[in-house]
Amino acid sequence: MVLMEHVSKVYSNKTVALLNVGLEIKKGEFVFVVGPSGAGKSTFIKLLIREDLPTQGRVVVNGQDLATLRPRQIPLLRRTIGVVFQDFRLLPNKTVYDNVAFAMEVVESPRRDIRKRVPAVLDLVGLRQKARAFPAELSGGEQQRVALARAIVNNPALVIADEPTGNLDHETSMGILNLLLEINRMGTTVIMATHARNLVNAAKKRVIALEKGRLVRDDEEASYEITRTAMTAGGRR
Amino acid sequence: MGLRAWEYAIRESAVSIRRNGLMSLAAVSTIGLALLILATFLTLAANLQHMAGYLEAQVEIRAFLRADAAVKVRDETQQAISALPGVTKVTFVSREEALKRLRQQFGEQQGVLDAVEEMNPLPDGFEIKVDQPESVEKVAAAVEKLPGIEKVKYQQGLVQRLFRLTQAVRTLGIALAAALAAATLFIISNTIRLTVFARRREVAIMKLVGATDAFIRRPFFLEGLALGVVGAVVAALAIWLSYSWLVTGISLSLPFIPLVSRQPFLANLSLVLVVLGAIIGAGGTLFSLKRYLKV
Ligand SMILES: Nc1ncnc2c1ncn2[C@@H]1O[C@H](COP(=O)(O)OP(=O)(O)OP(=O)(O)O)[C@@H](O)[C@H]1O
Ligand SMILES: [Mg+2]
Repeated sequence: MVLMEHVSKVYSNKTVALLNVGLEIKKGEFVFVVGPSGAGKSTFIKLLIREDLPTQGRVVVNGQDLATLRPRQIPLLRRTIGVVFQDFRLLPNKTVYDNVAFAMEVVESPRRDIRKRVPAVLDLVGLRQKARAFPAELSGGEQQRVALARAIVNNPALVIADEPTGNLDHETSMGILNLLLEINRMGTTVIMATHARNLVNAAKKRVIALEKGRLVRDDEEASYEITRTAMTAGGRR
Repeated sequence: MGLRAWEYAIRESAVSIRRNGLMSLAAVSTIGLALLILATFLTLAANLQHMAGYLEAQVEIRAFLRADAAVKVRDETQQAISALPGVTKVTFVSREEALKRLRQQFGEQQGVLDAVEEMNPLPDGFEIKVDQPESVEKVAAAVEKLPGIEKVKYQQGLVQRLFRLTQAVRTLGIALAAALAAATLFIISNTIRLTVFARRREVAIMKLVGATDAFIRRPFFLEGLALGVVGAVVAALAIWLSYSWLVTGISLSLPFIPLVSRQPFLANLSLVLVVLGAIIGAGGTLFSLKRYLKV
């Protein structure tokens, strides 16, 4: 589903956000991307949705090398991916309902399907009663959940969430995590960047750790911190 | 790109115009005002042009018949002159008529003419009107060659000056209209750029969610089109009312000033304004949008 080979990203101000990262994420996997602030997690995600191109290396999504993608093909790629942005990126002039419906309008879903699907997804994230509100009238956590609803409304093959629980209390966070795990169980590939150690530790999924742009760890069924056993295991490898 | 897509785009643009009420109003007024200035100038230019043409038509050539010319020759000559290219009207002026006119010109000092009265030295002749000053010289030369004609007269200096004046009015008019059209385009596109700029973040988000360029363009296109056309209609209405009022007023108090008649002039001008508004509104919006679609 996702393949990165020797990927580096240097921003125009010479910040090295990613350095020689190589990894593969198979269809149906659930992957956490962890690392301190500024480690390159959001940059990693930007490269996956072709918001930006790497300065070096190859990024392949759905079997397509993103560097060779023609401008007309970019929207088609993005439609197969649902993204929860770290800064939400909701449309300020649209209600919660219309923001979620927008993702379906883009792919020209029948009006009937939209009317059925959007309230159902808002239910999933617990925002049914906020459907008529505008983003500015919502708390940070509520906006985040709208972004999640928008990301999953089209049943994309890949869901990428950049800190989808950054503004949420523990209980709601666990709810979001369980929702993503549930989606994953139904076959969707999930990539989730997070600082939430308790979520990572609870899920026992693959963990990719970035540090100053380098991939420093990639373990199955791992926890947030490098535990003694994981370290020794890593050392032995 | 089916009906479904346009349906969505229409709803979107309607909502957007309402939600950005003040911005929409500003855009409509700017477009309306800019087009009104252009329309005012075009009306002025059209009238100057009209007046120049009117003055040109006043230029006339006088041709005098030989004293011994028979009526047959006279008629043949008149027909020959009418057939010349550029000639719009040929009027026969008898020697009696010519003398009467001379009397009118002399006004109070009729006594001078009394002596001439019995013998009347004036010949029969023609008044020839031509379509434009350029034609005068050619027509005069051709008329002079006709067998029945003794002599041809026209006011050469006046013709030359008039020709230069109307030519200058035309050139200046076209140049000014072009400059004004460019200024109008600039003002309007600037306004539109602002309205698009205010929504650049929205455009970027739409693209990241997987919207195609065409999908994003459609509501913007309709919105620009609507604002442009509404602005143009406002301008057309204003020029329609004020020119009608002007024509009525002038034809009452200064009837000798030749004005371009209202129709079909106003209808044509309105059509031009609406087409211009539509093109600038829709085209300008799409043009400004282009750079923000590169996400
Ligand atoms: N558009 C940009 N231009 C220049 N530098 C950037 C840009 N975006 C990010 N960076 C830099 O690249 C590095 C990685 O940023 P990134 O946003 O990927 O980190 P992150 O791991 O997502 O951090 P956080 O956990 O705080 O979200 C940082 O040093 C950041 O300052
Ligand atoms: Mg980040």
